[in-house]
Amino acid sequence: MPIRLTWCLAALLTIPIPLFAAVQDETDVDIQVREIAKTLRCTVCQTENIWESGAPLAQQMRGVIRNRIALGHNTEEIRAYFLSRYGDYILMEPPKHGVNWLIWLAPFLLLVVGGFFLYKEVTHWVRETPAPPSQPEPPLDDQARKRIERELES
Amino acid sequence: MSKGWQLTLILCLLGLFALFYQGLWGDPHHIPTVLIETDAPNFEGPDVETGQTISLDQFKGKVVLLNFWASWCYECKVEHESILQLHQLFKDNPEFVMLGVNYQDELPAAKKYLKEYGSTFSHVRDLKGQLAIDYGVYGVPETFVIDQQGKIRHKWVGPITGEVYTNLTQKVIAPLLKAQPTTTTTS
Repeated sequence: MPIRLTWCLAALLTIPIPLFAAVQDETDVDIQVREIAKTLRCTVCQTENIWESGAPLAQQMRGVIRNRIALGHNTEEIRAYFLSRYGDYILMEPPKHGVNWLIWLAPFLLLVVGGFFLYKEVTHWVRETPAPPSQPEPPLDDQARKRIERELES
Repeated sequence: MSKGWQLTLILCLLGLFALFYQGLWGDPHHIPTVLIETDAPNFEGPDVETGQTISLDQFKGKVVLLNFWASWCYECKVEHESILQLHQLFKDNPEFVMLGVNYQDELPAAKKYLKEYGSTFSHVRDLKGQLAIDYGVYGVPETFVIDQQGKIRHKWVGPITGEVYTNLTQKVIAPLLKAQPTTTTTS
């Protein structure tokens, strides 16, 4: 068997087979459940979405998503259902309307306002700081001149 | 920096401090409900003790108190006596119905709980969590009051004890029971 083929087979053996199996087993419904579940917050664990959460409530919510898909509901209808039960809190990303805009824009506003204050303060300090008095460079003495010449030659 | 800018900066810092305070000391589990004044979702499920089907529809036109509980829930045990007392207070009013909803529980554990702590009203099992999700429940105990028109009028997350009990009985349920249900005529 040529060496190159042996190397290829050896490389293939290092790929975990269950990983492939998991991807291949995922149906269209599974993918849709995952995509929707990733956008919804687990109300028990809060920092996780219901796809990643192991909480029983998150598991039941994934079941509800699956049932609604089976009933022919689309992604927006399913998200709207959870929104009608739990409010904006259920969404991993706050919707961009009303007071929620503050959440989206506040970091940039703070950056701009902070930058403005910093600029104003720095220019103020620069203006207020007196310039150092200008003095002529002292002439080189003989010892220094000789040392420079020695270093340039070496 | 002018005084105006200094004042603005101080106000901004105070605002940030208030948000920080809320984030640190506010209740992170509190989710404001969006269900008040909306139609109570109908449900159907087996009675914990008899297995007979109970549905919300069969109590149309009455004030319904729904109490979500579980046998593994410590706070449910804390409020249980008050819940029984609340039922005792209104049970003779034909306009009032009280239902327990057994949430994320095993049937034998739920039956044992009711036997141990006592029960004077029916309890419906939420088999797949659908009922709880329909009501935006995220923990137990949670209590809902539904008015004669089928609208959710009150929600409380946590045990019904002390001031909460007084508020629920005197300011929520009693006024609703005195209120006459509005009748709609259909042609």
